[in-house]
Amino acid sequence: MTQSIALNLLQIAFVLLLSPLFAGILARCKELVQSKRGPSIFQPYRDLRKLFGKDERISEDSSWIFRSAPYFVFIVPLIVTLLIPVLTDFPLFFAFAGDMVGAGFILAISGMFFTLAAIDGGNPYGAMGASRTRMVGFLAEPVIIIVLFTVSFVANSTIPYIVQQHWVHPIANFFAPSHVLLLIAFFMVLLAETGRLPVDNPSGHFELAMVDESKALEFSGRSAALIKYGGYMKFVVLSIVFLNVLTTPWGLATNGSPAGLALAIALVAVKILALIAVIVAVESSYAKLRLFRISEFLAAAFVVSVTAMITEILHL
Amino acid sequence: MTLLAIPVIALAAALWCAIPRSARAAPAVTLGAAVVAFALSTQVLWALRFGATLAPARGWVETDALGAFLLVLIAFVYMTAALYSWGYLNAEGTTARRVRLYHANFNLFAFSMFCIPLVSELGLVWIFVELTTLLSVLLVSYALTPEAVEAAWKYMILTLLGATTAVLGVLVLFWALHTTGSTDFTWAGLRAAAPHMPQALLGAAFVLLLVGYGAKIGLVPLHTWLPDAHSQAPSPVCAMLSGIETSAVLYVLLRLRNVFAGDPALHVGTWFALAGLISVGVAALLIVQARDYKRLFAFSTVEHMGIMLTAASILTPFGDTATLWQMLAHAVTKSFCFYAAGIAVIVTGSREIADVRGLLGISRVASAGLLVGGLAIGGAPPMAVFPSELAIVRAALQAHGYAVASLLVLFIVVAFFGVMWHVTSMLAGPPVTSARHRVPVTCALALAVAAIPVFVLGLWIPSGLSQALESAAKVLGT
Amino acid sequence: MTALLLELNALVLGLFIISTIAMTVTRQIGACMQIFIVQSLLLAASAFLLGAAPFSWHLFALGCVTVASKAVIIPWLLRRLVPGEIDRRRELSQAIDVPTTLLIALGLTFAGYAFAQHLVHAADNLSPGNISMGFAALLVGLLLLAVRIEAVPQLLGLLAMENAAFLAGIAIAPDFPLIAELAIAFDVPLLAFIVALLARIAYRSMGTTQVGGLASLKERQ
Repeated sequence: MTQSIALNLLQIAFVLLLSPLFAGILARCKELVQSKRGPSIFQPYRDLRKLFGKDERISEDSSWIFRSAPYFVFIVPLIVTLLIPVLTDFPLFFAFAGDMVGAGFILAISGMFFTLAAIDGGNPYGAMGASRTRMVGFLAEPVIIIVLFTVSFVANSTIPYIVQQHWVHPIANFFAPSHVLLLIAFFMVLLAETGRLPVDNPSGHFELAMVDESKALEFSGRSAALIKYGGYMKFVVLSIVFLNVLTTPWGLATNGSPAGLALAIALVAVKILALIAVIVAVESSYAKLRLFRISEFLAAAFVVSVTAMITEILHL
Repeated sequence: MTLLAIPVIALAAALWCAIPRSARAAPAVTLGAAVVAFALSTQVLWALRFGATLAPARGWVETDALGAFLLVLIAFVYMTAALYSWGYLNAEGTTARRVRLYHANFNLFAFSMFCIPLVSELGLVWIFVELTTLLSVLLVSYALTPEAVEAAWKYMILTLLGATTAVLGVLVLFWALHTTGSTDFTWAGLRAAAPHMPQALLGAAFVLLLVGYGAKIGLVPLHTWLPDAHSQAPSPVCAMLSGIETSAVLYVLLRLRNVFAGDPALHVGTWFALAGLISVGVAALLIVQARDYKRLFAFSTVEHMGIMLTAASILTPFGDTATLWQMLAHAVTKSFCFYAAGIAVIVTGSREIADVRGLLGISRVASAGLLVGGLAIGGAPPMAVFPSELAIVRAALQAHGYAVASLLVLFIVVAFFGVMWHVTSMLAGPPVTSARHRVPVTCALALAVAAIPVFVLGLWIPSGLSQALESAAKVLGT
Repeated sequence: MTALLLELNALVLGLFIISTIAMTVTRQIGACMQIFIVQSLLLAASAFLLGAAPFSWHLFALGCVTVASKAVIIPWLLRRLVPGEIDRRRELSQAIDVPTTLLIALGLTFAGYAFAQHLVHAADNLSPGNISMGFAALLVGLLLLAVRIEAVPQLLGLLAMENAAFLAGIAIAPDFPLIAELAIAFDVPLLAFIVALLARIAYRSMGTTQVGGLASLKERQ
């Protein structure tokens, strides 16, 4: 038992320590593709250190929601890492504390507090960003639920560790039509939920065009650092769900040996880097969608996921 | 090799007309090819009239009395339409290049139609049916007006949609054939293998083929392209489209009927009767409210296709004979009607019924043609359609299909009333224009030639033709 | 070996369905044509995979002809005959908006699967997935044909229908008489040629290729 708690803590450390690095690599690769030099891959660490050292300014008219939201945004992804297979493919201590639907709801807690805090802060752009984020969120919800339910049909369970064992382990399932359809659907939702092009431009500065970014405008100092950090971790957590549960569940440690864990850390990092490469390719190829076209994008994701579900149920 | 010579002549004429130098000779070459093709096809029919078969390439290119019968129909209307086009295009006043391209396209269209009764392998049949669409689309849009383009577009999209559905039906039918272990994908081979085919596949193929080929012959509700295409095209093309192209596709459906009729659970007769009667009824009502007299005749085509499908649903030898007789009568009569309508368009300059009044005072040829055409297509004696429709009703009564027979009679009467009301309203009254446009000589000549079988076949069928009709019906019934 | 080929074929089928959905959601005519090219290549890939073991040179020939006619000749024809439609990044318009079209496409996919399941259980065949996906994609192509207003997207919808019919066909009838299958495959460029010609005529006579909006020929004026 102590070993599985220790492995859980190792997973949290992995996500906590490496998510700014992945965010930095993503930003650098995007700039390189555009023939620019780009910031250093360790820049996010420096940004966080700077922000943690700065003073905070909080509006007098805001409530406890505004003050507590950054903590929610920071802690929730860490709670979700307790539930998903990050480094090991055998269930750890907290594995049965919540299933994938539970993980989805926990992520929704952070989203809810962040949205409310954006309105609470009184910044007009914050309210605008909040409503747009909710629109994207509710359109993405059905897709996530259908994806989760489709994979649980196969695995007869909604616990991520068990789904990972049964979903793609038989290699024939990897090539099944429903698998590739689910991949595409979840990838589109990943782009939408983490605020990437073509849904939202993470490096844009024009407030009227922002969907996610404008919610964070009002925060300063330590709160801003926590929000940024939480954003990086949310991206890594969703990527890990995509990679380790749905796409490529191989390469995780089968026992608690240090060698296996070291290999697992390396392989998971490689997989996340591959995903980053794909995201860079997608982001560099598409322009940002106009706001009302986001519903078409997510409707397409919905149709793809339902088609995947039908295909899976009919065993095509 | 007379069999293969028939489509080859049409193809050769098309290639000749495509040469840039031949603009002046193009109509004459087309007419010559058509006359030769007609002579050859009557020779083939004469040879096959007792039920023999000709097979230059057994399993692929072969024909029997039924196929030869359709060949003669196609050749006759091709001949009269070629004669008519000669003068009709000159009256339109188009450039020499467009005339040449028209004739090339015209001959290619005839070539594709000639090939349909000559092939017996179902995949090839489908290809030639699709070719008839592709090769007639540009003919429909010949006038280059927005309405003509709209008509051509609707025609093309709806019939190609039908063709795609039909190809799926052909593939499913092949699959069903495959499960019985045979690979003989000809009419005869399919009929032999049909009792052993899985019912789900046979049913699916039946639905797909009825919908697909039904779109091509104008079965309601997939008929919406037919009035547009068959009225916006130049009149000789309308004659070919209404008279023989729809008949050729109906021939394919009739041949397929026996493949599916072997399985009583499919209720082929019921579905054919239902589809046919709905088409006849809707077309009869559409005829009554027509505003354009070429569209009037196009609706009448939908009606007659429905009548023939209903006649085929009777599934008795007499019913089959009546169906083929109706096909013959309709082809010659409908082409006659469109020739008359074309002359009326030349003389009055308008296609609207409301714009034409007092045709009797404007042109005797046009009014005589329209009057005879209207009476003939409505089914009045002593013209060709009357005895064939009478035979269909008798066949239905003999087979105890009283509901079918009474509905048919009702709808035919409604359609007759509609056609004659519109035609007589165009003929009577003070002349709407005093301009006297000259009717082109070849148009009038084509009208006269087309009139001959309309009257003759109403009174007497030559013995050779009736023997051929019997043999063809026997082929249809086996 | 055969198992691996069938698995790869399943992957190709999944990508085929994605290409159909992509065709429904795309907004540019040029992108629509590129997705059509991808779809044709996927069809050829499926033909090659199904024809690899046991070896059927019918399917190989069909795959080669598909690549030649649909991925090479038809785009070239369309670029030459109606360049304005494709090269200038024209946006396409639809009679109903895209999310509704997507939902109807979903329903039609389901209907296509249901109809095909009925058939697949009746007789044996090379690959039941091909037939189900083929029927589903046929109905979605039909929907695209119905809702699109410009000429070239309607043509692409029709060609997508033909792709789907062939996808079902290669699993149904791997030894379909070759001459008929090849003639069918050559018939498609002729179709594209004539449709593109007609689109050109439409443009010259009306100034636009929005043929879906033409409704002047009817009884009540």
